Amino acid sequence: MSGLIQLLNSVGLPQEIVIKATFYPIACLILVFALLVVLSRNIFHSALYLAFVLMGVACVYLYLDAEFLAIVQVLIYVGAIVTLFIFTIMLTADINTGPIRGMIRRVLGGAFASLAILFILIRVIARTTWQAAAQNAPAISLEGLGRSLMSKYVLPFEVISLISLAAIVGAIVIGKGQKR
Amino acid sequence: MVNLAHLIPLFPFLAFTANILFGRKLKLSSALLSIAASTISLGLSIYTLILFLSGHGSYTLCKWLVFGKASLDIGVIVDPLTCMMLLVVTIIGTLIQIYSIGYMKNDPRFSRFFAYMSLFMSSMLGLLLADNFIVLLIFWEGVGLCSYLLISFWFERPAAAKAGMKAFITTRIGDTGLLIGVFVLFFAAHTVYFRDLAGLSSTEPLFIAAALLIFCGAIGKSAQFPLHVWLPDAMEGPTPVSALIHAATMVAAGVYLVARCFGLFFAHQPALIWVAYIGAITAFFAATIATVNNDIKRILAYSTISQLGFMMIGLGVGGYSAGTFHLMTHAFFKALLFLCAGSVIHSIHTQDIREMGGIFQKMKITGATFVIASLAISGVPPFSGFWSKDEIISETLHNGHPFLFAIAIATSLLTAFYMFRLIFLVLFGKSRTELHPHESPKVMTIPLGILALFAIFIGFLGSPFMHNAFQAFIHIGQAGEAAENANPNYLVMAISTVVALSGIGMAYLFYILNNKILPQAIRSKFAFLYNLLSNKYYVDEIYDFMFIKPVAGLSRLAARFDLGIIDGAVNGCAKAVVVLSEVKAWIDRYIVDGAVNMTAKTVGLFSSVLRRMQTGYIQTYLLIAFLGLVVILFVKLI
Amino acid sequence: MIPQSHYLALSACLFAIGIFGILTRKNAIGILISIELILNAANINLITFNKFLGSPDGLGQIFALFVIAIAAASAVVGLGLVIAIYRSAKTILVNKMDLMKW
Repeated sequence: MSGLIQLLNSVGLPQEIVIKATFYPIACLILVFALLVVLSRNIFHSALYLAFVLMGVACVYLYLDAEFLAIVQVLIYVGAIVTLFIFTIMLTADINTGPIRGMIRRVLGGAFASLAILFILIRVIARTTWQAAAQNAPAISLEGLGRSLMSKYVLPFEVISLISLAAIVGAIVIGKGQKR
Repeated sequence: MVNLAHLIPLFPFLAFTANILFGRKLKLSSALLSIAASTISLGLSIYTLILFLSGHGSYTLCKWLVFGKASLDIGVIVDPLTCMMLLVVTIIGTLIQIYSIGYMKNDPRFSRFFAYMSLFMSSMLGLLLADNFIVLLIFWEGVGLCSYLLISFWFERPAAAKAGMKAFITTRIGDTGLLIGVFVLFFAAHTVYFRDLAGLSSTEPLFIAAALLIFCGAIGKSAQFPLHVWLPDAMEGPTPVSALIHAATMVAAGVYLVARCFGLFFAHQPALIWVAYIGAITAFFAATIATVNNDIKRILAYSTISQLGFMMIGLGVGGYSAGTFHLMTHAFFKALLFLCAGSVIHSIHTQDIREMGGIFQKMKITGATFVIASLAISGVPPFSGFWSKDEIISETLHNGHPFLFAIAIATSLLTAFYMFRLIFLVLFGKSRTELHPHESPKVMTIPLGILALFAIFIGFLGSPFMHNAFQAFIHIGQAGEAAENANPNYLVMAISTVVALSGIGMAYLFYILNNKILPQAIRSKFAFLYNLLSNKYYVDEIYDFMFIKPVAGLSRLAARFDLGIIDGAVNGCAKAVVVLSEVKAWIDRYIVDGAVNMTAKTVGLFSSVLRRMQTGYIQTYLLIAFLGLVVILFVKLI
Repeated sequence: MIPQSHYLALSACLFAIGIFGILTRKNAIGILISIELILNAANINLITFNKFLGSPDGLGQIFALFVIAIAAASAVVGLGLVIAIYRSAKTILVNKMDLMKW
């Protein structure tokens, strides 16, 4: 966020209002697109709406002083994963699916579950008294992030590479198909 | 000298065993076996008499039942009465068995007949030798059994079978009285031995009751009124049986019993007088029936009943020797009478005297002996019957019983009348039907002759010619009972002779002279009396009505009870069990199985609800898992 | 400026929508997409706490980075599976894959 603040300072707009005025619409957009993701019949549309959601989330990362992560989000999530999804959608035939019997029961069950968890979470969030002081704590720099990634958290870093390798090999094996 | 009297019943018993077991193989020699056995017994009886005269008396054989300190011993009584009876039974028994060889010649069950005869001899001899009531009762039953077996010897004839049962049951009634009498006696006197009876002089009513009850046994066995009904029917048996058992010996057992217990009776005059009166009623009653009967054997049967009554009169008025004397003479001439009748029947195969007549021409020996016996029984001097009957008649007068004297005289008259009616109708006159009589074989006629000799001469033993030897003999060992008159009463002798001759004369009148007219005229004039007599005073019918029908009805009732209620109860139980088991089956089927089925159905019901959870969709499972998480969070955080 | 609770509320809503999607969508790929939504909601949460609690190492961000990597790996494997299933069952609709149904 500090970068954003600097940007806004340079432009000369009052910080608070701008931040506030832009954050809430972005949040609403995220939610709207997320709803579209889950509600749309066309899977292709879902994937596209997912891309929008992910980009919106990247913007939110900007507000939270996580510029590096925002970039990574766009690069990897939108650039690779959504692409992957679209490949797979193209490879499998059923794009459009009609209504099925018993849809209502499932929707009701799902709605009930999601509303329940939402209710619980919101209540917990609302009841808790959050610290306000750390708002002005200094954000970590990219250099610092790299440094901690390579020194303190090098183990998870290596493990991640192993996981990626395993995922690749596994995907190849699964996707290879039966020997004819 | 050794006491051998106890062996007397043994030999006939051995003959019985041999004949019963091996009779089929022995055939004719079974008869010889029986005769040999009774001849041995005869010899032993003579021997016992000699022993007795030389001083040996009763003796004990062995201990039998022991009750603590007291015991019942089996012993043998040897006294004048027993010695006399032993000789009578063995002589007559042997002669009749010889006769039976001829009479039963063609019978298929020849050897069994002799077996039963030997058994009877054994039982009768044992009865005579018993020295206490208990042993006597054993042999008493024995002779009753033999009587039954021999009466229904030809059991294929229903009349014979019924007669056997009638005899047994009727004598049973008497035997019950005898048994109770023995108990009462034991209760009152604490003894069952005959030798103790003389010493009882108490006038306790129990003794009178005991004496009367014991006399009941005599009434049964000796066919006195009212238990006389079996004897005429017992004539269904073979004639030798009638001669031996139902004339000479078994029926005399009752008289023997009274004589044996004479001490008891004499000490209790009411009992003794009762004996006399029963005897009198019987004697007169039976004699009247005999006058109109048409069956040769039944006339003789009623004659036996009448003469036994005579003996009871003799004993009853206190004439111990008179009664026993008549017992002896009667045995001989009655056996002779029956054997003659048997000879006639054997020859012409009918028993109805209306079909007979003029037999004397062809059967001289039988006829002659028949006449001799009839003279004896009618009391014509100098035959044996005259002496003994005269004794009795004079005793009644002497001991102050004029009524009994009158009855005795009347009975003598009737006796002479019916006996000679029999003689004239059977032996003399013209034959009424087609008959072909022939004389019987020697094996039958020789015993007739021997018995005839006895019938003629045995009476002299008690006559004044031999100084009343019999009376003296019979009283050996007894301390003064009735002081009997030793002087012959010539008036009474004359009266009885006149009575006998007039009886014979009447019979001659009726049946030889005015052959057809007189009997029929009397019959139609006294029709009521005639019917009463020829139906035996309807005694059998009365008994049937009074006793037999109620008992039969009672037994039918009992049978119905048994079938209906007891069997019904058993069947009812079975039905109840069946019903119960059906109920159980219903319960088992509907309730128990129902419970099991219900359990299964409930499980099915639940499962049909719960299985819908297994949709196969992963999202359903996820939903449920997630809801679980929600619930936990809800509980924890809110 | 923007209070912490708003960020958290946003992430909560996104999470709820993602749950709804998982439980509702019948296309297998649609389920995978909804899983991505959830992961993103979690990421927002992590970053928020990173900012407001202040960690010197940037722990939240590193964690979020790893989450993204994991999400990628899981998407890869999941899509490989979908391809394989499509090849044999000729469909990727989960309501047709009910071999375990009673």
